[in-house]
Amino acid sequence: MSDNIYLPKMGRIIDVNSEVEGARAIKTFRVEFVNGDGFDHECGQCAMLSVFGKGESMISIASSPLIKEYKQFSIMRVGRVTTAIHDMEIGDVIGVRGPYGNNFPVEDWKGKNLIFIGGGCGLAPIWPIIQTAVLQRKDFKDITVFYGGRSSRDIMYAKELEKLRGDAEVHLSIDSEEEGWNEFCGFVPTNVMDKSPSPKNAIAITCGPPIMIKFVIQNLKGAGFEDTQIYTTIENKMKCGIGKCGRCNVGKDYVCTKGPVYSWADLKELPQEY
Amino acid sequence: MEKVLKKDNLRDWVIALSSYEVHAPAFEDEVWNFKQVEKPEDAALDHTNTVKPPKDFSFPQREVYCEFAQKKGEAPMVTETLPALAAPKVVFGVRPCDGRAGPRNDTVFSKEFDDIYYWMRRKKVAQVGLACNTPPSRNCFCTAVGGSPHSEDGLDVLMVDLGDSYLVKALTKVGEEIVKAGGKALGNASAADKKTAAKAKADAEKAPMREIVDIKTVPENLQKNFDSEVWGEMAQACIGCGICTFLCPTCHCFDINDEVTNVTPLRGQRVRTWDNCQFPDFTMHSSGHNPRNTLGARLRQRVCHKFLYFVQNHDTYQCVGCGRCISECPVGIDIVAVVNKVAHDVG
Ligand SMILES: Cc1cc2nc3c(=O)[nH]c(=O)nc-3n(C[C@H](O)[C@H](O)[C@H](O)COP(=O)(O)OP(=O)(O)OC[C@H]3O[C@@H](n4cnc5c(N)ncnc54)[C@H](O)[C@@H]3O)c2cc1C
Ligand code: SF4
Ligand code: SF4
Ligand code: FES
Repeated sequence: MSDNIYLPKMGRIIDVNSEVEGARAIKTFRVEFVNGDGFDHECGQCAMLSVFGKGESMISIASSPLIKEYKQFSIMRVGRVTTAIHDMEIGDVIGVRGPYGNNFPVEDWKGKNLIFIGGGCGLAPIWPIIQTAVLQRKDFKDITVFYGGRSSRDIMYAKELEKLRGDAEVHLSIDSEEEGWNEFCGFVPTNVMDKSPSPKNAIAITCGPPIMIKFVIQNLKGAGFEDTQIYTTIENKMKCGIGKCGRCNVGKDYVCTKGPVYSWADLKELPQEY
Repeated sequence: MEKVLKKDNLRDWVIALSSYEVHAPAFEDEVWNFKQVEKPEDAALDHTNTVKPPKDFSFPQREVYCEFAQKKGEAPMVTETLPALAAPKVVFGVRPCDGRAGPRNDTVFSKEFDDIYYWMRRKKVAQVGLACNTPPSRNCFCTAVGGSPHSEDGLDVLMVDLGDSYLVKALTKVGEEIVKAGGKALGNASAADKKTAAKAKADAEKAPMREIVDIKTVPENLQKNFDSEVWGEMAQACIGCGICTFLCPTCHCFDINDEVTNVTPLRGQRVRTWDNCQFPDFTMHSSGHNPRNTLGARLRQRVCHKFLYFVQNHDTYQCVGCGRCISECPVGIDIVAVVNKVAHDVG
């Protein structure tokens, strides 16, 4: 079956963690391949997860390529397939095909300051870089992580973010005031403005709801970041993942193969239709 | 290899091709479409062009990827369902525009990832083209997009109507086999036959067809006018039926769905079916966000895919000028007029 790009390999769920509850629940799954199958991936790449009888969903691989034992996926429950995945438990078998898409040029960023700016479920696609940078801490300069959710209950990777402190500067935010919240109140782009990170020798990587990305980029530009210093990912509806089914394009690019990772310098050249 | 075939001998050639599944255009229910030839004496090549292009010989409307079964609490069992047993086919009467669609679709289904379902079928399809001495439709414009009514591109054999006979030219190895298989049904082409064919070609290429103004500047102008209001204006009447793309020889978009045939224990199939950029839910995210949420944006996608993005990616137009999307659109949306209007403000 190996040359059939449409048939998934099988993986077993070895860990499930509930990150966020409620209508837009997020759960994190760790999956190890079975039958000696598997693949390596790069930071920013995705995989098509498959629940037979329901269908497939494109999900970012949220663990560092340096971790070989499992692949991590953080999934928001929004529809048919993601609900079926949320219903799965440790030991259940899920289909995985990939890896798909391009990747963040992490190797080129060694020796630089990294600034991560995430919102909502948008921590997942950039988490592999954060993990990689921490595992190879000496190779990178300052690491700063901005992350925000609607409320304190919407913060994903809460424990992991706490553990990051020491290796990285962590700035959390929630949209509006809450009792007992000691960090920033307001939107993520405003928090970035507030702390005003320096563009010097820095790369900023942002991922989250489109409206957040738009304002983050605006604010970074205002703070003196060049287009080539800003990276983001785009999300479009996907079915094949390999540039054939025709739906995920932004202009000439099929996001599933040419993306999802773009520097703002490249992204702004495409029609802004995403 | 060039041969000549008396029109009455087409029957014998078809009979000689008994090791293939032979298809040819047939007139049924008021339209021309490719059909498997059951009685060789019925084979005739007096069609205009088929309503459905021959793309589904390689890329059928429905392709089953695999069958799956799963008992509760157990791992899913997946059985690959490749079209390995697809019979080798000879398709007669392919018009040169549709012939040119072949290499374009081949590019899409290979690139970094070979599509095994497509290729298992495609490798077994031989296309015997029929040159157009006169345009079969008033909406033809192959010459505007770099083609020719006698184009050989993508075909295995090209037949040229000489009146009582056809000049038969083998263009590929497979084409030679097919022509050779015809044995005595085909005779040697004389210098006069070749001359008649050359004249037919020259005349056909001069015949008036729909025109795209200054095609070389179309891609850059479409890009420049991406935000033009004309897209929306010209798409006003569109009812989003998708006929324009389903019938297009080079449209390749598809959907993948799981069809459940039994709930417990779970059994079903994963199926690829043709899909369509003119449908709103083609690009709609689960959140409801839709990057192409207007008729204008979807018309722009269809036109820019053919005349801009494909050019940027593969250095050739994806449209081969068959005119189907114009002739068959229930509301008369006309890709030639749209291109001319958006790119040059004419039409
Ligand atoms: C590159 C990329 C990375 C992603 N990473 C993550 C992630 O890490 N975590 C996460 O929770 N979500 C992620 N998504 C979004 C996720 O793919 C969709 O939310 C999911 O496919 C919805 O499927 P569903 O069956 O539950 O929803 P339904 O609405 O029931 O399904 C409709 C079908 O449409 C498609 N679809 C609908 N919306 C999207 C969308 N936004 N993107 C892609 N396909 C879509 C899928 O094929 C899906 O099966 C990512 C999307 C892309 C494109
Ligand atoms: S055939 Fe005409 S009406 Fe139907 S989707 Fe295409 S342009 Fe719209
Ligand atoms: S876009 Fe229209 S004219 Fe061009 S190849 Fe497709 S159906 Fe034919
Ligand atoms: S998901 Fe099919 S082309 Fe990108």
